[in-house]
Amino acid sequence: MLVSTGRDLSSQVRAPRTAFVNFPMGNPFGHPFDKVTQRRILLEALHILGSVTEGGTLIDLPCEWGEEFGLNLGSGYTSA
Amino acid sequence: MKPIAYVDRLNAFYRNQGFPPYQWSVYETAPLTPLRKPLNQCRVALLTSGGVSRKDAPPFDPLARNDLRVDAIPAETASAHFQIHDDYYNHGDADRDINCIFPLDRLRELAAEGVVGSVAPHHYSGFMGRTYIRTAVMTQAAPALARRLAEEAVDAVVMVPG
Repeated sequence: MLVSTGRDLSSQVRAPRTAFVNFPMGNPFGHPFDKVTQRRILLEALHILGSVTEGGTLIDLPCEWGEEFGLNLGSGYTSA
Repeated sequence: MKPIAYVDRLNAFYRNQGFPPYQWSVYETAPLTPLRKPLNQCRVALLTSGGVSRKDAPPFDPLARNDLRVDAIPAETASAHFQIHDDYYNHGDADRDINCIFPLDRLRELAAEGVVGSVAPHHYSGFMGRTYIRTAVMTQAAPALARRLAEEAVDAVVMVPG
């Protein structure tokens, strides 16, 4: 069961089951100390485990980060 | 907002740096092993590739290439007892609360409530990015982890890329 913030990256790899979370990379379960969102995303991912019937299924979890976010990949890319 | 087009953006990044095109792993099909028991009887583990290690273990190399290290992390490890070393994503929030990327407290709670059967004895951290030796991952490192998960009677793994 993959929980991913990169929809295109994960859909081309095609794990058996993917939950896509449209949050910034580095925050797949949400904001720090936001237990409600962290729990909800983990729980929804775990429920997908039992409901998917075809390998390679990607499910978009309903979630809103609340503000626009960018690529923000970290210093490794700028120093590459 | 629309999902970020990471593939296009990274292709452009590598092109602008003068690198040859990145050879993405692209698959048309995927196998599926059905879950054979209800969630409340399943033993669940976490796996992250986000450069997460215990504070008493060596840090991951934040600029690692081809690092096949995989740490077995005792599941009872306190959530404040982690460090993250990976320069290829923003882990500022996860530095403050590891559950942003490695939700071991939330999994513990779900197990305590009986929503999942149990937490596996270990979670795992490894397979950091920038691994260009795909065959070694697919024939050695990943099967070794799969064997270990089977030995620990793990029914499901939640995998979280960094």
